[in-house]
Amino acid sequence: MPSSLIPPDSLKRIGEVLSGPFTVRIELREAQRYAYAVGDLNPIYFDETAAVAAGYATLTVPPLFLTHALVQPKPIENLRTDGLYNDNASIELRVSRMMFGGEEWDFHEPVCVGDEITGTTRLADLDEKEGQKGSFVRLVRETTFTNQRGDIVAKSRQIGIAR
Amino acid sequence: MNNYPTMSTVQIGDELPKMKKQASEAELFLYSAASFNPHRIHYDRAYANFEGHDDLVVHGPLQGSWLTQFVTDWAGPRARLLSIEWQNRASAFVGDELIFAGTVTAIDQANTSVELEISEKNIDGTLLMPAKANVRLAGA
Repeated sequence: MPSSLIPPDSLKRIGEVLSGPFTVRIELREAQRYAYAVGDLNPIYFDETAAVAAGYATLTVPPLFLTHALVQPKPIENLRTDGLYNDNASIELRVSRMMFGGEEWDFHEPVCVGDEITGTTRLADLDEKEGQKGSFVRLVRETTFTNQRGDIVAKSRQIGIAR
Repeated sequence: MNNYPTMSTVQIGDELPKMKKQASEAELFLYSAASFNPHRIHYDRAYANFEGHDDLVVHGPLQGSWLTQFVTDWAGPRARLLSIEWQNRASAFVGDELIFAGTVTAIDQANTSVELEISEKNIDGTLLMPAKANVRLAGA
């Protein structure tokens, strides 16, 4: 069946790297700012003794901080009207609205302050589906996070819904 | 000592203690700042309304972090979150009282892990985020 919402050139991009690989050091201040901002004051993010007692090498970080640790600073000139950044990771679709559908995370190894984390995001999936309100596109961006030892520490799948 | 669940105490049907969250404008601002997220629907009310939202929108990943906290507060510091997933069904807005609830739905003795089914609802009972998590419990 020919796809009406997904241009053929966009379909060809499945598997393509959309961003990265970027490597960042997990910084104490950034991680703790994140923990305070989400209101998660778990001692394993703030008290090294508590973190070690819980089996971590040193202070660990809130699980979803990984996404934000990897955010690349960009110039303000790149902002669109809605405040999001213009970037070449956008996939061309014949839709008017993109919504966040949800996320899926797998955690394999602990992440601690001082770790060097590399994140690479791929277009993992792109397909058109029929819903109650008509056709929509399901777009999956998968990010693999590895540490300085080459271990995969986590994978995230961000699901976008466009119609 | 604490009352964190272990593989010998946990049972299918166990309910997690409910958690409430309510984000003020300052908290939304702090999350935007901490996550380097300039999306206007989280701080510019007129723009949020223009995009069809009732009010400032609570960031999806902020609610995701509340979900992970809901699980790790229950499971304790020695437990390990193995996976979590959620769907955004409806938006949460600034000031909304949000209630997190969860139940143990499966126990995997071999993997020393349990599966949780979680919901985030607003005060009207609207399901905003259904979620699932797997967590490895500490101890025997």
